[in-house]
Amino acid sequence: MKVKGFLKDVGGASRVTKARQKSWENASKEVVTRDPIGEVARLLHPGRFEVTLIEKRDASPTARTLRFSSSTGHFPYFYAGQFLTLQTKIGDSLITRPYSISSSPEDTRGKDPFVEITVRKSKGDGFFCDYLYEKAKVGDKFLAEVGLGEFHIDLIRDAHDVVCLAGGSGITPFLSMAKQIKAGKLDVNLTILYGSVSEKDIILKDELEACVCDKVKVVHVLSGENPGWKGEKGFLTAELIKKYSAKDTTYFICGPQVMYEFLHAELKKLKVPARRIRFEVFGQARDITKFEGFPKEKADKTYQLTVVMGVHKETIPAKASESILVALERHGIALHNSCRSGACGFCRCRVLEGETFVCPNNDGRRAADKDFGYFHACSTYPLSDLTVRLPIAE
Amino acid sequence: MAQRKKYFDDHYDVVIIGGALAGLASALTLANKGKKVLVLEQHNLPGGVATSFVRGGTEIEATLHEMMSIGTPECPLKIRKFFDEMGVDIEWLRVPEAFRLVEPGLNVLVHPGDHGNFETPAKEIADACDDKDGSVYKKVLDLLNLCNRVYNSVNELSIHPMSKVMMLLKHGDFVKTAGYSAKEVLDTFHLPQKALDALSAYWIYVGSPLSELPFTIYAVLMADYLGYGSYVPAKFSHEMGLKMAMRAEEMGAQIEYGQRVDKILVKDGKVTGVRTAMGEEIKADYVICSAYPNTAYSKMIEPKSEVPEGAIQFVNAKDVGVTCFSVVLLLDDDAENLGIKDYSTFYAPEGLDTDKIWENYATEGPWKYITSICTNIANPNATPKGSCIYSITALPQPKAWFGVTEENYDEMKRKNAEYFIEMESKRLGVDLKKHIKEIVIEAPCTIAHYTGAWNGSIYGYRHTMDDHIVARLQMGEKENYIWGLAFAGAHAISGDGMSPQVTNGRKAAKTILEFMEEKEGK
Repeated sequence: MKVKGFLKDVGGASRVTKARQKSWENASKEVVTRDPIGEVARLLHPGRFEVTLIEKRDASPTARTLRFSSSTGHFPYFYAGQFLTLQTKIGDSLITRPYSISSSPEDTRGKDPFVEITVRKSKGDGFFCDYLYEKAKVGDKFLAEVGLGEFHIDLIRDAHDVVCLAGGSGITPFLSMAKQIKAGKLDVNLTILYGSVSEKDIILKDELEACVCDKVKVVHVLSGENPGWKGEKGFLTAELIKKYSAKDTTYFICGPQVMYEFLHAELKKLKVPARRIRFEVFGQARDITKFEGFPKEKADKTYQLTVVMGVHKETIPAKASESILVALERHGIALHNSCRSGACGFCRCRVLEGETFVCPNNDGRRAADKDFGYFHACSTYPLSDLTVRLPIAE
Repeated sequence: MAQRKKYFDDHYDVVIIGGALAGLASALTLANKGKKVLVLEQHNLPGGVATSFVRGGTEIEATLHEMMSIGTPECPLKIRKFFDEMGVDIEWLRVPEAFRLVEPGLNVLVHPGDHGNFETPAKEIADACDDKDGSVYKKVLDLLNLCNRVYNSVNELSIHPMSKVMMLLKHGDFVKTAGYSAKEVLDTFHLPQKALDALSAYWIYVGSPLSELPFTIYAVLMADYLGYGSYVPAKFSHEMGLKMAMRAEEMGAQIEYGQRVDKILVKDGKVTGVRTAMGEEIKADYVICSAYPNTAYSKMIEPKSEVPEGAIQFVNAKDVGVTCFSVVLLLDDDAENLGIKDYSTFYAPEGLDTDKIWENYATEGPWKYITSICTNIANPNATPKGSCIYSITALPQPKAWFGVTEENYDEMKRKNAEYFIEMESKRLGVDLKKHIKEIVIEAPCTIAHYTGAWNGSIYGYRHTMDDHIVARLQMGEKENYIWGLAFAGAHAISGDGMSPQVTNGRKAAKTILEFMEEKEGK
């Protein structure tokens, strides 16, 4: 290239045009479909697929473990701690619910890959939970999405020492972590502090015990009257937590909502920095009408919910005390959803007309979305007759 | 079984596959002309990669570094003008500086000029080179003014094409540099190495080494960023996609989320409609496709016999551009407390030789040219006090990631992310690992998952001397292999970048309007 060459050159445009023409005349006529990055992406994120219940066993006198196989023969390699969703039709309702995976990510590899969840018999308020516990039988099929949520150890972000604070069925994600560590596939020191009322309330006791090794410690903490119990007693207090913590520890918390509030205060006493505390999402509010800001006089009201999907419109009843997602489910209207805690945004919809209440604990909306009436149906409640626009789904 | 519900009208003028910036710019343009438009987006959000996510209650920018071609409200550039015309009202925040470049022996902060004045950046670059007699300053200024003339020509010619003679008279610099690479033209200025490096930092925004990058593209890039500055939306890039979508809907376009299109239906060389993954067949006379032509011609056109041989050769001749590897951090302190002062930093720990970095970008890493963005410097209210967003990005070639499997994916991701964090910690003199509240790693598979982009590429087809922007513009109409089908996205004429997507989308709409005129003329 001569220094002053280009200053006199006026043929550049036609030259590059010829070059381009030539490059494509010389190109192969064979259809290339190779997209390796896309193919790996589809294995990592397969979306929803069919699973079959292949085994059901007791995990305690009040809990059962359900094992599922995949109709495609493949499960994505999830992170221990993540959950799956199961969807099925019961009567007119189309139900989707999230459950933490209690099996190890390693169980998705190998010849007969599977995933397991463990459900506890509810106190009458867990419709789908009880369905799985009592009625679901081997051979039943569900639509599943596997490997969801942000509740998992991140080796870059988290400390090498992890303390898990579990209550009730909140133990399940930690069992998955413990199994993966025991298998030598996750390198952290894990201590599980598992709070139960009495020994018979402990679920998955034997499976937890089987994971104990130099990197996995399981400590049962009983709060009730338990004559003869030699282990830790009381609640998961700051003092107890401190006893099992290293200097730099990341805490993972999963259990009933009251436990979150309690532990939040306890960890505050220990001056644990916010980035070292990881919560599993809350789930739907137990009683939205009790939240500050919810107009009490509307608690018992039922409104008309007009649903717009494309050019289709239909109207269904919707209670002020139930999320819009629940109203849709009751009437078999499909809306993709996952965390049911306002966080993942899968059930993002838009209000065209009417008034709503968003659960303040579960408001994971984007700032610009808020400006335009977008809402997450799992954490939003009708306060008047309402018209909403939903993504079209089958 | 209840009767199948009817979600779509019987017929649309235009179906737009993909509701990212390009597809939405097409939708705005066509809806504004009164056309019946349907946009089908597979994700549950508009914007494509122009998006944000919420972690632990905090919204975090997913991808945007900076928008070009915005300009001030008084002197708007073409993207702001288009949004103004369409009534898309975005709150733009000006990015305070152009960039900082750090490499062995050089650490220079460069600010943009205003309204096409390049004295500030030229001075800052010259000062970093110990410019005693002002000769470096003059040369850098000459170069940037040359870039600006080419840039103005490109903008004018894209609206008012003219004869070759007129072009030579009015746009001499554009004509005379068209046949040369950025490196060839830069070499004629005999600049000191440090100045050359400072003038090369932006190469990554087009993802082609300077020896292969047409000077025309280089000139547009340099003039726009250094002469007019850059901007970000106050509510993240999601604000942009969302507001474009809302305006398009107001103008009558139907936009449906969660709708993946599997097939483009063609009969006798003409588009007849699309079929979605849910099995809905939708009739349309025209289709704008945001999927890569590679995907369209190899998987989507139905029947396959309707794919012309030329179309296959067309995609096979193209070099698919870079993909993306980005570590997005929410840190648990304010930027200033962490020693983070700059919005955007280019870091070349082993020097800024774009050919060498290009080779390095073909490997599994560690990658040796990274861009860091601290969103809060341009947008102080982006996150709550006591936190900030910090992202670290490299743009490897897709083939760098071909050895990645489902099994080693996580390790590959983590290894490179750790390297990035370590590299930036050293540069900033703060241990970032001790401040990570949230971490999200965006790998090529992440891009492929959310957008379906061919091989996770975010930059479409690479700008090279064999696929030159000038040639693309001259030959554009020959690329309409199927009547009624146009493409909008980074794989279209203007190539990569968020602002160019708006241009690509407008161009696709123009192509469709030309098809319509042709049909009416018959």
